[in-house]
Amino acid sequence: MDKTVPGEEIIVVDNVFKTFPGGVCALSDFSIRVCRKEVLVVIGPSGSGKSTFLRCLNGLEEVDRGSIVIDGIPLDEDKKNRLEIRKEVGMVFQSFNLFPHLTVLENLNLAQILVRKKTRKEAVEFSMALLHKVGIPEKANIFPNHLSGGQQQRVAIARALAMMPKVMLFDEATSALDPEMTGEVLAVMKQLAREGMTMVVVTHEMGFAREVSDRMVFMEGGRIIEEGPTEQFFTTPKEERTRLFLSQVL
Amino acid sequence: MKVSSIKAGRYSKRSPLADVGAFLLVIAVLTWITGTGTAKLGYNWQWYRVPQYILTHEDGRWLAGPLIDGLMVTFEITGVSLVLAFSFGLISALCRLSDSYLARMVARVYLELIRNTPLLVQLFFIYFVMAPIFDLSRFASAVLALSLFEGAYASEIFRAGIVSIHKGQWEAAHSLGLSSFDTYRRIILPQAIRRILPPLTSQAISLVKDSALVSTIAVYDLTMRGREIISETFLAFEIWFTIAAIYLLVTVSLSIVVSMMERRLGETG
Repeated sequence: MDKTVPGEEIIVVDNVFKTFPGGVCALSDFSIRVCRKEVLVVIGPSGSGKSTFLRCLNGLEEVDRGSIVIDGIPLDEDKKNRLEIRKEVGMVFQSFNLFPHLTVLENLNLAQILVRKKTRKEAVEFSMALLHKVGIPEKANIFPNHLSGGQQQRVAIARALAMMPKVMLFDEATSALDPEMTGEVLAVMKQLAREGMTMVVVTHEMGFAREVSDRMVFMEGGRIIEEGPTEQFFTTPKEERTRLFLSQVL
Repeated sequence: MKVSSIKAGRYSKRSPLADVGAFLLVIAVLTWITGTGTAKLGYNWQWYRVPQYILTHEDGRWLAGPLIDGLMVTFEITGVSLVLAFSFGLISALCRLSDSYLARMVARVYLELIRNTPLLVQLFFIYFVMAPIFDLSRFASAVLALSLFEGAYASEIFRAGIVSIHKGQWEAAHSLGLSSFDTYRRIILPQAIRRILPPLTSQAISLVKDSALVSTIAVYDLTMRGREIISETFLAFEIWFTIAAIYLLVTVSLSIVVSMMERRLGETG
């Protein structure tokens, strides 16, 4: 299973358990490794624990047991480590979560200035470059509520990129969007993948997954049912459960 | 802007004359009630004696009367108390939302103690018991009592505002590496304060009116000045009504200023 050269791994998850209050088991003895520049797509039925896995990676959820190490930094009780990891890991949410009281440009500037300690001028310069990259530089001084869903999600991606993260997490980034807006967000994600960003993506967009990902993971009940190189995963899945799921979503 | 257009839509079918008519009717009824009430009271109204206590004109200069002097003291007390009350409120709200059991407990005790006892008793306690120990002036005692009292109510308003902000805002801020302090300061509070501006205004108005109680420890505010004048002149009703009108003027102005602020904030959000 572990066929990567040691040292190339940027995300190392070992034997993680996570149970929510009320006894719902979200992750059960969950282990995975992600290499630099790899695009990993996680699929599975709802409630399978894929979002929880993603949220554990930057400490939005605390694990009950097991270890998570990102770029050599262990995600543990130490608050400093957690902040350090959050600087290196960008996250894009299903519901965008832009800051509604700040303009698009301020949304992008905020963490650069507060966390990366850049000057305002440096931050604005980089933010504008990112807005060009996601294709909406003309919206810089507009408040998020005046943007379409697709535009908001592109701003959210740009905001995460503003921290120059080493890893990007996408938690069903297109699930709240109309089909026609899904395309524009996926296009930005594809571009990121081409540029060599390390990405962990939870999605229901199988076409996108097949086109962009290097490796696929199928989860159910907090466990990995199957994982493998993308082409092989889609053409010759080993597990019966994977085959059934793929036949329903494709 | 949205709100006003809805309002315009709802009322547009009615003539504005109907509203003016209704208003005049209410005023007429009130005047009649006051008129018959005071006639039965057999009170000798001497309104002409009141203006000298507000403003006097001497040697071509306007001089502030004792009521205006008192009003200035009321402004001072409520101004300082407002700032302190909102600080106490914010701090105790943050304590109640913190992870620390001790902080939550302290905030809870403060809240329950203050909200469940009369302000007058708190004022006396601070002035007669605490002030001699800590060498507090009358003014300081008054400010402390008022701000502790109003702060307890403001605390619940702040807490409600903070928890009303969607969890996704916290998660987005955290995922960008912002500390809890920065998240509160730049993300959560700016949004929460917009939402709680109306109840905070009510609290500020309560503060203005509650400040009248400081006259009981002989702070020369608007109410104390009024009582002084009444004891000299026996113009009880005229002076009390004048004082009420002055408080009304202050609180209504406050409401108008805040609703203007709200409208400006609303445009950006």
